[in-house]
Amino acid sequence: MSHGEKIDIRKLNIWFGEKHVIRDLDLKIQANTVTAIMGPSGCGKSTLLRALNRMNDVIKSSKTTGDVFIGDKNIYGDNVNVYDLRRQVGMVFQKPNPLPKSIYENVAFGPKIHKTAKGKDLDKVVEKSLRAAALWDEVHDRLNDSAFDLSGGQQQRLCIARALAVDPEVILMDEPCSALDPAATAKIEQLIRVLSTEYTVVIVTHNMQQASRVSDYTVFLYLGEVIEEGDTKKIFENPQHELTEQYITGEFG
Amino acid sequence: MKFLTTSALQGGAFEMIVGTVYLFLGAAAIAGPIGILAAIYLVEYAPSGKITRVIDQAINNLAGVPSIIIGLFGYTFFSKQLGFGVSLLSGWLTLSLMVLPIVIRGSEEAIRIVPTAFKQAALGLGATKWKAISLTTLVAAAPGIVTSVILGIARVAGETAAILFTSSVLVTRGLPSSPFEPVMALSFNMYIKIVARGESPDKVFGIALILFFIVVTFSLVAIILRTYYRRKQPWLR
Repeated sequence: MSHGEKIDIRKLNIWFGEKHVIRDLDLKIQANTVTAIMGPSGCGKSTLLRALNRMNDVIKSSKTTGDVFIGDKNIYGDNVNVYDLRRQVGMVFQKPNPLPKSIYENVAFGPKIHKTAKGKDLDKVVEKSLRAAALWDEVHDRLNDSAFDLSGGQQQRLCIARALAVDPEVILMDEPCSALDPAATAKIEQLIRVLSTEYTVVIVTHNMQQASRVSDYTVFLYLGEVIEEGDTKKIFENPQHELTEQYITGEFG
Repeated sequence: MKFLTTSALQGGAFEMIVGTVYLFLGAAAIAGPIGILAAIYLVEYAPSGKITRVIDQAINNLAGVPSIIIGLFGYTFFSKQLGFGVSLLSGWLTLSLMVLPIVIRGSEEAIRIVPTAFKQAALGLGATKWKAISLTTLVAAAPGIVTSVILGIARVAGETAAILFTSSVLVTRGLPSSPFEPVMALSFNMYIKIVARGESPDKVFGIALILFFIVVTFSLVAIILRTYYRRKQPWLR
């Protein structure tokens, strides 16, 4: 299963104002796998995820120390272009957030702002991305319709296609199914499995069934610290730490 | 109908109508861009602190200043101090002071109701802050911003006091050929005819009607635009 490390987090600390959200966190994430980050609300899952494409920077009160290597580059080092980083490390948000544009324009948005494709090439990128997100067959004859005409599940797959269009290496997903019905959720989960053959996927979820269905590795986070990590199967069948077991058996969450 | 296209020298209203349009279009052209940029700055960039609060309050106060005071300010500052005289330009600048708070407040509101999810999506794809704002937030806010400019126009189209000493005269020979010439206006014409020349108010009903239509049309356009786009923008529902 192992393809080598893609992400190496070292001594990561994150504060929001006075609140110490991530504490001295070390974590390695394998390439071309799905890693699930789970834990109770407020444990820092989303913050950890957003540290990987520096989306926490957007929040004025945030402060981050430590290193995060993606590939062999420290994204908190000097001379890092966060805009390039966010192209390399795509993100899918909790609620589907299509832009108020057509289906086509949503997918084309990234390549356009990074000027990586235009004209016929852009058409190809859009088609390829929509296919990769398993949405092409449903929308190919109405690419100019508003993205808001799509169902919630389709919108979320559109957001995945939009992230894929800029050719990322890592895809971050922040509870991507929490606003979707079970059928749409199943489709996204299936898609996540397929995506992991080409991309490194990190998904935040507090749905344990989901974590066990889609992920190769699971990280259990509690109060900003990694309590336990390892093979998903192992964690679910034979958790080593008491807190993990309590969480998995639903004693708290 | 002929009244509308006949020169004032022959008893028509042509120069007053066009002069009024010149005045509010110029004021909108000045206050529009400045107001919109100010709104973007205040919502997206301004640090939340004492200075921002003071600016905020100053905008509210500006909106509440009586137009005669704005007119006097325009006269002393633009006409005298800066030497623009009684001219279209002085009128534009003075009126733009009245349009400005309306555009700023309206645009701020339009920008605030755009979901931050759009900006987040763009940032997540590697857009710079300005690109994220200009390509998503502003596009979504555009109808509301345009509406605020139109409402600003409706506010000053019938303004009298602000142009009283700054830009208007009773009669001109044709339309002004440069911004430094005075201009005729519907509102001013009515006022002067009644107050200074002692004409009976019923003599100016024709002019009043035209002005009324202009103002109502602008307000209606603003309302229709807003309603139309509210329907078209599902995130506003």
